[in-house]
Formats: sequence, structure tokens, C-alpha cells
Amino acid sequence: MTSDRIHTPRECDEFQQQLPGLFDSEHGLQQHAHLRTCKNCSSLVRDLEYIAAQAKLLLPIHDPSPAVWNNIQTVLSRQAKDGNKSS
Amino acid sequence: MTKNTLRTAEKIPSPTPSQPLTAEARPVHQQQRRNPPIAGELAAIALAQQGDGASFEVLYNMHKRRVYSLCLRMLGNVAEAEDLTQEAFLQLHRKIATFRGDSAFSTWLHRMAVNVVLMHLRKKGLPLVSLEETLEPSQEDGPRKDFGTRDLTLSGSIDRITLEQAVEELPPGYRMVFVLHDVEGYEHNEIAEMLQCSIGNSKSQLHKARMRLRILLRQKADGKVDA
Ligand SMILES: [Zn+2]
Repeated sequence: MTSDRIHTPRECDEFQQQLPGLFDSEHGLQQHAHLRTCKNCSSLVRDLEYIAAQAKLLLPIHDPSPAVWNNIQTVLSRQAKDGNKSS
Repeated sequence: MTKNTLRTAEKIPSPTPSQPLTAEARPVHQQQRRNPPIAGELAAIALAQQGDGASFEVLYNMHKRRVYSLCLRMLGNVAEAEDLTQEAFLQLHRKIATFRGDSAFSTWLHRMAVNVVLMHLRKKGLPLVSLEETLEPSQEDGPRKDFGTRDLTLSGSIDRITLEQAVEELPPGYRMVFVLHDVEGYEHNEIAEMLQCSIGNSKSQLHKARMRLRILLRQKADGKVDA
């Protein structure tokens, strides 16, 4: 839980500048003293964690058009022909 | 000639039993979760390695969606994504005989696809990691009391389609790292190697990408409320 305390913009800034590194060491982030007392930065961190979590759920949903396989086949059969000629 | 053997896929032993094709070289990793073994894959790989065209087509159909989605997300452009999907599978065709099963086949293939996309972008002369974006945080990335007063979090407010759209709107440098790390599950050290940048740079780009997404998603959420 965060207990309300007014942080100076500088304190928030310093904390937020460390964020890129803190995200990789989750313990470092959760234990950070600033997060326990700053609502604003807590909300920021929650959002960024939420975005990362949602991104993991972005499964592949798009299919290439059938033209892609047709082109691959065309190239492969041309290569096979060229290969036969040269051998 | 070998077409009919595909149905008995799982029973066909790996050509190198000491190195099972599904063996993972890495510890638990998002790649594993996203690349579960596919029924029939081992047999199709073995046959495609011997030059069987029908098996290569089976592999294409198994993996086209993942490879294409990866290309599309990295490039944000359908025509280019299709071209590079084609290129990735042509490269697969050339190299499949060298696959030894040190990692999951899909992991191996997707890494190949990532490299094809990166090569393409390098040829176009596009910086894979934007230095300006890295060194000079623009105002919209900067602090950042902006949303504090509303005490609103995104949690629960975004759906997949909204997130997809927001990712498309990211600047290319941010999008690249975000897709590789958060969507595809690569680690920062892998991304740094792929993009030939430092690990710190990869982390910083990812952070900025998420910060930018937060703004985009909040705008979208506000739009929905206003509408
Ligand atoms: Zn703060």
C-alpha cells in the first residue's frame, strides 16, 4: 500500500530515471521506498506492468495472403530448374 | 513420395536421438511458452531436411502465422511484411539442413525471421535504435505528474485490438524493442545483440516504448469515454 506523501518533482524524476533498470530486477522495483509513498509513481509502474503483461497476450493473429506461398513455390521451382541445369 | 508418412509424425524418431529436436537450450523463457511443440513438426522437419517439398509446405503452414505476425508488427506494413515472410521461408529452405535441434525449431525459425527483418531495415539505412529517442527524452516521455491527479490506472481498460493499434503507432525504434521484448519474449541481452546496441540502450528504449504506449492508451481510453 502507498501512504500519501507529497513528493517533489525531483524525487519522482530521480525515481523514474531509474525505472528502465529497475523493471528488470523485479524485487528492486517492488521494494523501492519511493513506491511505498508515491501514489503517482505507483500508478505509473502499475500501468507499465499492465502494458507489459497485456503485450504477452498479443498472439499471432495475422495470416499472410496466399500469394506469399505461391511466390515461394515459384522461386523454389525456378531454383530447382537452375540447379538441374548447372549440375 | 514421402507424403503419406506425415500422418505418423510423432512416431518417427529424431534423426539425432542424442539431441532431441525439441530440446531447449535456454532456461524457462517466454519463448518456450510461445513455442509449444506442434504435432507432426518433428517428422516434417526431418523430411524437409531431406528435400521433401510437401513437408516444407507443412512447415510453412505451421509457422506462417507466427512469422508473418512478427514481420508485420516489426514493420507495420503489409506489403513489406509479406515480402519478408517470403524471404524468411526461402532462407529457411536454404538452411533447414543445418538445423540440429539445439533449440526449438520455432525459436530457431523466428530468430531467422527477426534477422531477415533487421537486415532489410539496415539495407534501407534505417537506424534500428534511434539515438535521439534514446539520449534526449522528448517532453512527452518526461516527468510525468500528468496523470497523477486523476488517480486512474489503465488496468482492465485496454483490449487486444486497442493495444495492437497503439503498438502500430509507436515510432519504429520503440516498436522494434517493444515487439521483441514484450510481445516476442526476447531478453535484453538477445535484443542488444540483434540490434547491435547496448543492453542499457535496449532497456531504455523498451521503457520509453511502454511510456509512449501508456500515453497512447490513455488517449484511446479517454476517447472512448468522451465518445
Ligand atoms: Zn513519485
